[in-house]
Amino acid sequence: MSHQTLALFVLLSPLVAAVVLFIVAPLRVRGPVSAGITIASTAISLGASVMLAMARMFGQSAPNVDIQAAWLPGGGKVLSTVGVYVDPVAAPMMVVVALVALCVQVYSLGYLGHEPSRDRGRYFAYHALFAFSMLGLVMAPNLLQLFLCWELVGLASYLLIGYYWTKPSAGQAALKAFWVTKFADMGLMLGLMVLFVKTGGFDWTVPPGQVLMTADAEVIAGLLFLAVVGKSAQFPMHIWLPDAMEGPTPVSALLHAATMVAAGVYLIVRAYPIFSLAPTVLTFMVYLGAFTALFAAIVAVFQDDIKKVLAFSTCSQLGYMVAALGTGSMVSGYFHLTTHAFFKALLFLTAGSLIHAVHSNSLHDMGGLWKKMKPTGVLLIIGSLALAGFPMTSGFFSKDLILEELLHAGHIVPLIAAIAAAGLTAFYMTRVVMLSLFGAPSEAAEHAHESPAVMLAPMALLGALALVGGLLHGDFAKMAGAEAAFHITPVGIIATATGLTGIAAGLWRFSPGKRAAVGSQWVSAPMRFVTWLTGNAPVDRAFALFYRRVMLTAAAGVAWFDRYIIDALINLSGWAVLKGAERFRRLQTGRPADYIYAVIAGLIALTAMGVM
Amino acid sequence: MTGLLSPANAAALAELPLLHIVVAAPFVAAMLLLFINDTKPLAVRLIGVAGSTVSLIASVAIALAYDMTAGGIQMTSSLPLVPSLGISLELGVDGWGVSLLLLTGLIMFAGAFASWTVKTRGREFYLMLLVLVTGVFGVFVSLDLFVFFLFYEIAVLPMYLLIGIWGSSNKVADAGPFKFIWKLLDVGGKEYAAMKLTLMLLIGSALIVAAMIAMYIEAGSTSFDLRHLEKTHFSLGLQMWAFPALWIGFGTLAGIWPFHTWSPDGHASAPTAVSMLHAGVLMKLGAFGVMRIGMVLLPEGAREWAWLVGGVAAINILYGAFAAMAQKDLKYIIAYSSVSHMGVVMLGAATLTVNGWNGAVYQMFAHGLMTGLFFALVGLIYEQAHSRWIPDFGGFAKKQPFIAAFFTLGCLSSLGLPGLAGFVAEWLVFLGAWQSAFSWWAIVGLLGAWITAIYVLRATRRIFWGPAPDPKWTDIRDPIGTEWVALWLLGLALVVFGAVPGLVMDFIDLTTAETLPRVAGQALEVLR
Repeated sequence: MSHQTLALFVLLSPLVAAVVLFIVAPLRVRGPVSAGITIASTAISLGASVMLAMARMFGQSAPNVDIQAAWLPGGGKVLSTVGVYVDPVAAPMMVVVALVALCVQVYSLGYLGHEPSRDRGRYFAYHALFAFSMLGLVMAPNLLQLFLCWELVGLASYLLIGYYWTKPSAGQAALKAFWVTKFADMGLMLGLMVLFVKTGGFDWTVPPGQVLMTADAEVIAGLLFLAVVGKSAQFPMHIWLPDAMEGPTPVSALLHAATMVAAGVYLIVRAYPIFSLAPTVLTFMVYLGAFTALFAAIVAVFQDDIKKVLAFSTCSQLGYMVAALGTGSMVSGYFHLTTHAFFKALLFLTAGSLIHAVHSNSLHDMGGLWKKMKPTGVLLIIGSLALAGFPMTSGFFSKDLILEELLHAGHIVPLIAAIAAAGLTAFYMTRVVMLSLFGAPSEAAEHAHESPAVMLAPMALLGALALVGGLLHGDFAKMAGAEAAFHITPVGIIATATGLTGIAAGLWRFSPGKRAAVGSQWVSAPMRFVTWLTGNAPVDRAFALFYRRVMLTAAAGVAWFDRYIIDALINLSGWAVLKGAERFRRLQTGRPADYIYAVIAGLIALTAMGVM
Repeated sequence: MTGLLSPANAAALAELPLLHIVVAAPFVAAMLLLFINDTKPLAVRLIGVAGSTVSLIASVAIALAYDMTAGGIQMTSSLPLVPSLGISLELGVDGWGVSLLLLTGLIMFAGAFASWTVKTRGREFYLMLLVLVTGVFGVFVSLDLFVFFLFYEIAVLPMYLLIGIWGSSNKVADAGPFKFIWKLLDVGGKEYAAMKLTLMLLIGSALIVAAMIAMYIEAGSTSFDLRHLEKTHFSLGLQMWAFPALWIGFGTLAGIWPFHTWSPDGHASAPTAVSMLHAGVLMKLGAFGVMRIGMVLLPEGAREWAWLVGGVAAINILYGAFAAMAQKDLKYIIAYSSVSHMGVVMLGAATLTVNGWNGAVYQMFAHGLMTGLFFALVGLIYEQAHSRWIPDFGGFAKKQPFIAAFFTLGCLSSLGLPGLAGFVAEWLVFLGAWQSAFSWWAIVGLLGAWITAIYVLRATRRIFWGPAPDPKWTDIRDPIGTEWVALWLLGLALVVFGAVPGLVMDFIDLTTAETLPRVAGQALEVLR
């Protein structure tokens, strides 16, 4: 098969699945049928993606696939196109998306096995929609198509967060996620408009013969970055991500950890020709990314809900990626995206396995699960080590690369923040491991069972990748035309030492014996204050206040004004006509004498006018 | 839709009197209804459906027969009516007309099915509806200003009876500084709504007539033919007053602020199919009039007043969106959202750019489909729940999964989600606004789309999501039988025309490219 055909297969197979499942209700309401169609289509995508990627990695360089068709006309010309575009940048992301999606879909067969068939069917239809739109985003030949699919993954996220729609909290979380990211997306739309006016197109490369002024590039990159802040949950627009954990756990793994939230980072990677012309925005990215990395890591330490820990951890890791891209090193940020996709998806799936066993998200309802669920436990530990950057795991390589780039670019304060965040990361993951797997089992944990093979197999695959994925870093760098041989550096040693210290601190603080003495909760008053301050509360409250006080008040004001001023004025004109008519009607007295007087008066008046 | 037929077949198709068929079919059906006994409701409905079907087929045929390489006005025919005044039944269609005929065909077809359950005076109801849609079709194919106006009035007037007889009343609390009006006018009643709508639109018509006659006289008092008037260069003095007259006159029907208040009450009171047609198609007549008559015939007036047209449109977008957010009656939400979305049409028109105009006409098309779908859904919910009061709703998706799905689809198009028709239109309008002399319009537009996302999704959650519905909603159910037609037709159309916008946009772009240079003048090349 030619690469063109393969590329079309990658995108069209989930599209066909989504269209069929959305339109043909009898297929959708049957859970197993819907699941089969979706998983088969994702498997086709994965196969084709792997073939396309293999031909572009490991030193090979197949020509880019570029198929475009006119989409919108404008003044007799083509305004924009849609199509598929596969180059060395898109290829690895395609594999990541298809692979994680397939793992999560297979896992969902077990995880949602007890749901009604109809609901499962709906769930898999949403997954097909997501796979199509995410792959469309990755394979977009221009930024407009990227944006189209960007919005569609937002839709899939909204639908999947709201999967348990009878739960009021799920409904609120779905809306919040949509509203916050949609607000940020205005930046992307505006950025595309500026780009169009300045270059006459929606391409990420400036057309030959044209120059993009730095000032213009700063504006465009700044606006695009606003959308990234929303989608990739950077401070202060991260508030939607913890709430998004209302969705089923596999969804959190796929959308809100591995792929969709990374779309923002991918946008920067894709539009790097523009971003690289905007030094101010890049510097801002370094600081905001590093701040988010540290901030979210602090918050994660204080979470008792296992999914919330992982959610804040995702914010934190996305902060690393954003900071890395800000240093001017596309490779390091992109590489961390890839490794993070594997180990964070793994962590969410293991968390799902634990939740599945104890029917609770709370770490306090777990404990002692190691004895009952050894495979899940091992995989949880592997994922945690990778996230903590334990030597030779995938996270170790990618995080190390980022820290080095921060040093090279001379951003010392962000570097310190990032190293501190690395230590905290190791600490909170150790906490999760200790609280969930070891110590005295809770009541629920007494009855826990290991998850079925259909859930364990995808986890094992991701676990393997989380362990060895880091070895690909050299190929990754070559692909982007850079050399990145791994070497041991002082920064790397400091970071690794910090990480190991974090692990040690966690092991000491949350060891079963110590926990029995001081409890697993952070109970002291200052700690409670820190929890409140660093938690979602202040930022969340500010947004809620804005919504209630500004938006809803404005709405009520406008509605009142419309009904009781604007419309009433129009009614007033009708009222005045009616009332006026009542007055004038009195002229018609009905007495003949009055009419004769009027005629005579008129005659006199006319005569007078004639004489004059 | 180009290239579906071979050129020879298309030419053969174009030989048929398609424009006459599309206009006459509903009228003939209406006349036939006069001979049907009202005791045979099925016959009445079938005739109504037949008339709409013929029009729909004819409008698709027009799209297929339209020659894209030739462009311009096609399928022209002429029949002198009053030769001494130069009035003549000139029919013809351009790219904009093709797209709007298609929209009208779709909405009317869906509306004929959505009226299936009208119980009282079904024959008269269908008759009025068919007469109304005759007028709409007529406007889109008229090349004679006088006939254009005649059809325009035919489309507007049946509304008075349709709302006054088959409508429903709303309660509007009396408050505010003008409280004393309430009692005398019965604010909120269906007769009130019908009267307000008719009177406001008629005042608009008076302005149109004044501008029309002035143009006729200045063009030599020989002809109302639009092509003749287009060639005339009107004096700046005339353009400066006639354009605002046409803008307010036609614009009242398009819901421009502050002459929009007939719309919420009118749409809330009107029966389902009437709301569908009115918001879906009739409001577009207003916007079409502003663009096709006001801007194309009076280009300098349009350029001089663009700042005001666009500024008011910007108000429309935000004002309508905020007002919709505060509503608790489902129909009022949709009605105010129409006010907001028609602002997008007018904003696109005011940009005087290729993208803005393409977007404006496409927004007419997309909003027509979307609001038609919305009103069909609201009608179904209301018929079963006998309430439109959102605070009483909740959890309806349990019993109405398909209605919930279609409602969500409408919401997504409304907030401009890519892949649905609304996005294409909004994106082009905002892009055009950014390219225009008033870039800030684009930011207003984007904010409006965001606020739309807030209120439509909030409404969806309150109606359909949440725990199992209150036991009092025992009767609610998903659609059955003919109720499906409007939902599937309009829902699929939203997706198809959103995913493949070229199907309709190719027509629109053709006419935009032909007419805009005349209006935008020098500015065009710079802004493109």
